[in-house]
Amino acid sequence: MGNLENPLQLLPVRFGLSHRQRGWALFFLFAAFFIFGTIRAQLSNLAGGDHRYLFFFIPLIIAVCILSGWRFVLVTGLACLIYSELLSPPVWPPRHMTLPHWITVVVFVLTVFSIAIGGTLMQRTERAAILAADQAMDREKRLNAIISTIRDGIIIIDKNAIIQSFSEAAEGLFGYSAQEVIGKSLTVLMPEPMRSQHHNYMQHYFDTGEKRVIGKIRFVPGLRKDGTQFPIELTVGVLNSNGETYFIGFVRDLTEAEANRKRMQDMQAELIHISRLSMLGEMGSALAHELNQPLSAIANYMKGSARLLEAPEPDLSKIRDALTSAGDQALRAGDIIRHLREFVGKGEAALKPENLHQLIEDTGALALVGLSDNGVHLTYKLSPKTKTVMADKVQIQQVLLNLIRNAYESMRDSQKRDLVVSTNLQKSGEIVISVADTGPGLDPEIVNRLFQPFVSTKTESMGVGLSICRTIVEAHGGTIWFETAPEGGAIFKFTLRKPPEGIDDDQP
Amino acid sequence: MMTSPEQTIHIIDDDKAMRDSLSFLLHSAGKASRSYTSAKAFLDSGIDDLDGCIITDVRMPDMNGLELLAELKARGTRAPIIIMTGHGDIPLAVEALKAGAADFLEKPFDDQIILQAIQKAMTSAPDSESDTLKDGFVAELATLSPREKDVLLGVVNGKPNKVIARELGISPRTVEVYRAHVMSKTGAHSLSDLVRMSIAVGL
Repeated sequence: MGNLENPLQLLPVRFGLSHRQRGWALFFLFAAFFIFGTIRAQLSNLAGGDHRYLFFFIPLIIAVCILSGWRFVLVTGLACLIYSELLSPPVWPPRHMTLPHWITVVVFVLTVFSIAIGGTLMQRTERAAILAADQAMDREKRLNAIISTIRDGIIIIDKNAIIQSFSEAAEGLFGYSAQEVIGKSLTVLMPEPMRSQHHNYMQHYFDTGEKRVIGKIRFVPGLRKDGTQFPIELTVGVLNSNGETYFIGFVRDLTEAEANRKRMQDMQAELIHISRLSMLGEMGSALAHELNQPLSAIANYMKGSARLLEAPEPDLSKIRDALTSAGDQALRAGDIIRHLREFVGKGEAALKPENLHQLIEDTGALALVGLSDNGVHLTYKLSPKTKTVMADKVQIQQVLLNLIRNAYESMRDSQKRDLVVSTNLQKSGEIVISVADTGPGLDPEIVNRLFQPFVSTKTESMGVGLSICRTIVEAHGGTIWFETAPEGGAIFKFTLRKPPEGIDDDQP
Repeated sequence: MMTSPEQTIHIIDDDKAMRDSLSFLLHSAGKASRSYTSAKAFLDSGIDDLDGCIITDVRMPDMNGLELLAELKARGTRAPIIIMTGHGDIPLAVEALKAGAADFLEKPFDDQIILQAIQKAMTSAPDSESDTLKDGFVAELATLSPREKDVLLGVVNGKPNKVIARELGISPRTVEVYRAHVMSKTGAHSLSDLVRMSIAVGL
């Protein structure tokens, strides 16, 4: 077959036809030549050799022009002229030709030329159009290839939010096939309350031109066909085509990203918790162990001295030495405790004006990280008069972290789980920060010893948290205390100082 | 002095105050002692056939009390070894008893307790004592309630009260009550008694 088709390509048949079409065109042309030639010959036989029969070939020339190029038109025209002249003598010498005969020939030649030129121009335009169409098709193919490769789902909607296009990736994300959703409203892909709001959003854009979503990256929930929701990152662009407005949305599934983020958060939370626990736990253990040595020594010296004193003639110099040593050991114990306080409180807190509200909100977020499924409702009631406070930021964060975590853990088994962190300014000029929970409150037995070390209601706790809180608050020149809420929950309150007059309250 | 060489008590502790004060206490009770700053120093002092009693701290740099205990047992030392532990070192103490320590003492300790412990360690033939104790203990063990047994197991395994409480789903205070019941029922005078007996019966 290929061998048969190859010669066809060499033939002067117009551009843009397929092989099969070229074959038919050639067949048609040869048939036309044969028919027109035969009819022309018969006309001469029947009605004599009129030179005007030359014009009988014009339709054939036009047909050639349509099916082929200008060269073939000229060749055909010449052939027709010669053939027709042969049939209507006298052809040669031309001096025998009449004027009308000349006119006929000239008009015919001009006609053929104009058909050739006009046809060529037409074909050239058409060829450009076909090339453009081909390129467009090529581009579209490439674009489609890109769209189907991109992992982001691509959805195009019109101004009424009717889905016009739904990419393969979008099919994978939402579980719908393109046929299922094309022609439907975009809202099938949204959960409530976005679903009922979407129309208003779009109307808002058309009314005001304000771009709330367009060109920005938004994080929204998507609704799969099976009714489950998943987090998506949505980017929307506007597309104006043929006077119509379309919106193109790029949808990225954040399920995995979200899972990664959550894992990071969990790990972070774990880390914070462990470091907090281990710091306090190690401190407690180290403290116990360190204090044991001097205490044991003191006990030994004292008990030994008492024994020696029972003798009838006690060796007083030995006893004096022992008592001196015991005294030294008591001082050593004191040193150990002072070291611990320095370690916890770093001696004196480095106080700076700090933005209390930001400090509280940051710490609140930090404290609850990794505990989000606990159902605790954390609210802030921050007085505008308490914006700036004198504090060592890290230390006060430690206090807040401790109080918020405690409040959180105390509500583990509570029905109502409200955690309120509030601030207010007292008449004395001190700022009171309170952390209130709706847990079971505290055992009255423990309340009086609450801020002493090694007192705890928790199984895993060393009971040093609140004593460290007190150390820190006192280093800030404040006090910390406990109140029972009217409903029975626990409220921990502590005071901090405002910056001295003259320091701008709005300073961060 | 009324001490004989075989009654010398060997004190091993890295803390000077601890060594001196213990030595002073023993002196006040009429007992001779020698102090060593580390397990190495003690082993290097060249006492091959050692009598008397060894009192060692458990937490020491280089070689700790348990390692010393193992080394002495390997050398076949017959002198009883008493281990001193800090607060909350019960798991270490249990390990020490299992490894053959005569007793353990939680710091700080009463003079009566340490003197009794030394007395007992030096005078009693460990095997016969543990046999009689064992018989009584096995009998008493049967009278314990399941909960008391749970608590006993926890204690013997060196778990703090808080951990036992959490594992059994009861409060730490309740654990203390059970623990007291166990002590009185089995006739154990101290935690070390209890642990020693439990080890003897293979709990």
